[in-house]
This record gives sequence, structure tokens and C-alpha cells, in this order.
Amino acid sequence: MTPSLRDPQQVRRSFMEYADSGDAPLRNQLVEEHLGLAHQLARRFTNRGEPYEDLVQVASMSLVKSVDRFEPDRGVEFSTFATRTIIGELKRHFRDKGWAIRAPRRIQELYLAVRPAIETLTQELGRPPTVVEIADSVGATEESVLESLEAGQRYRTASIDAPDRQHGSIAVRLGQVDAGFAGTDDFMVLALSMADLPEREQNIIKLRFVDGLTQSEIAAQVGLSQMHVSRLLATSLAHLRAAFTEDS
Amino acid sequence: MTGLHRGSSDVRTLSEPVQLSIPVQSDLILLARLTAATVASRAGFDVEQIDDLRLAVDELCVLVACGSSSGRFNLTFATNGDAVEVICALDVSEEDGASTDDHGERELSVRILDALVDEHGEEYDDKRQRGWLRKRKVRHEAL
Repeated sequence: MTPSLRDPQQVRRSFMEYADSGDAPLRNQLVEEHLGLAHQLARRFTNRGEPYEDLVQVASMSLVKSVDRFEPDRGVEFSTFATRTIIGELKRHFRDKGWAIRAPRRIQELYLAVRPAIETLTQELGRPPTVVEIADSVGATEESVLESLEAGQRYRTASIDAPDRQHGSIAVRLGQVDAGFAGTDDFMVLALSMADLPEREQNIIKLRFVDGLTQSEIAAQVGLSQMHVSRLLATSLAHLRAAFTEDS
Repeated sequence: MTGLHRGSSDVRTLSEPVQLSIPVQSDLILLARLTAATVASRAGFDVEQIDDLRLAVDELCVLVACGSSSGRFNLTFATNGDAVEVICALDVSEEDGASTDDHGERELSVRILDALVDEHGEEYDDKRQRGWLRKRKVRHEAL
């Protein structure tokens, strides 16, 4: 990874020069030199239902803010400061984006209450609230609030999705369970049911619900007709639904 | 989860560490994130810090996995004063040895951890990969 081609001392000198001069071309150069960092951090947040390009845009805007706000005499490296700022902006992006994933209704409703409660409590307290304070505010348990916050961030740890030697990639095997976190019990049922599906169906479910492709796009990718993809999706979802019914 | 007791001011520290063992699967890291978030919440961390800790635990697991796709993460969560500490260890077999070749990914993980936690470290040998992090609670001035 090469977020900046220059060594930290050179970068610091450039920032000191920019702080003194406010020189626009130098500012542009500093932004351009660190765009790689913005792209890499954006990539860490992919597979959560947001287009990569949108995440790059959020990260890049945050990078520009970081360049403007960085104080080189504070003794922190710019890359550390920018990483912190960009991650904060990406987290806010997901929190503010609203609900776009499939999750149990109780979690959706709770998250929709938790999100504004965080904003209100932050204003009232002058600091971010604790989970206990949020739980008191929305009349929920601490555990439920933690669960809704987990689901709200739409986590997906992509980096260890190396192909599994027996079953193909873990993401393919388990589909979008993590993104639509539905409680550990539901998660385990869904994971086991997904593993029962043929590899082709697992892949189609992943393409539809993880990658967000339309049925036509999936059809083109896997070499089937859109109607066929539609039937396979319906059958696979029925299988997963049946697993939940049996479990309950 | 055992070993929790309520202290003063809604802070419930751990009387003993919490341990979790999960297969190396990205989907199961949510259990590590939830455990870390629960421990941090009980220690009185605010939501922003808990968000940071969730991300950091994710990144620690990525770093320790080093490209391995089998084995188990053995995670330990503890409170130490006003800090939450997480240790992640992974035993590796010869046939599923870790790949430490991807320096770009590793550097990014380290950079992210630098930004999210107060301290962290990693160590590797032929049989075990291990990483740890420590995040201290930020004390806010009373209004």
C-alpha cells in the first residue's frame, strides 16, 4: 500500500508549508497523494450494500477535510489523522443512510428509534451517549440496543473471505447473514440452510442479496435466462424460509 | 458470559476475562464484535467508542487470520482499569500456514488499528498467530 509516495517527514514539511501559504496547488497535491488511502478505506466498507463509488466519494470528501484541518505541529502523522477522520465519516454515512437491509422488524424498528436517540442524547449530554443511556431513552434492553447497532452498521468482514477449500468462498456459503444480522439463533439456522443449497443457488443468492444485482444481471453473469434465475431464487428462498419455519 | 459484576456509576467491569472460540469465518466475527461491544458497554464506553472497538476487533481478526481460512480464533476479552483489552490467537497448521505476503493489507489493518485504539500489537511464529489491542475509555468533561 502506498498512500503517499513520500516519507512522513516530507509530508509533514508539505503540510507546514500549506498551513503557512494556503497554496491551492499544494493542497491539491496533498489530496492527490493520499487518495490511495481513501480508496483503501472505502474498500474496507464494501459489501455492506453501498456502492463502492459512493464510499470512495465519502472517503475522498473526508480526505479533503482532513487536509484542511490537519495541524502538522500536533505530532501525529497525517495518515493516522486522515484514517481516523475518514473512518468516522464512513461510519456516519452508514448510520445516516437509513435502513436498506433485510432484518427482523423488531431490529429495524429499534434501530429507527436508536438512531435519532443518539443524536438527541449527544446534543443533550454534550458527548456521545452510553448504551445504557440509549436503552433507557428508547425503552429497550441494553442487549437489544447493541444488537440493533451491530445491524445498523451492516458489517461484513470481507478480508478473510478467502475461498474455502471445500465449499467455495465463505460469503457464498453464508450469503448475507451478517449484513442482515438477525440474532444468533436465526443466523445459525440460515447459515446451515445455505450450506444445504447447491453451489449455483448459493451464488445466485449472494449475487442478488449481497452484491445487489438484478435478476437480469445475474442471468447474464451465470448464463441462464432471467426466468430461470427467478425460479431458482424463489425455490432457494422457499428452502430457507422452510428451515426457519421448522426451527420455530 | 460470566464474571460480570456491577460497579459504581453504571460501570460493570469483568472480574475475570471472557473467552470465545470461533471458526475462522467472516460471518462469525459478529460474535466477537458483539462480545467486545457488550464488554465495552458494561465498562461505560460511549457508542462512538464502542463503534470504534467493533471495527478494531474486525481488523484484529483480519490481521491475525493472515489469509488463513481454517482453524479457530481464540479470543479473550478483559477490562483493565478504564480499558478494554482483546487478545486474538489463531493456531495454524503446516498445511494451512498463514500468508504474511500481503503487506499492503497488513499495513492497512495496522493503520486502521492505529487510528481506532490506544495500543495494539501482533506476533507470529510457526504455530500461532496472535494479536492484541487495548482501548481506553474517553472521559468526557461534565457539562
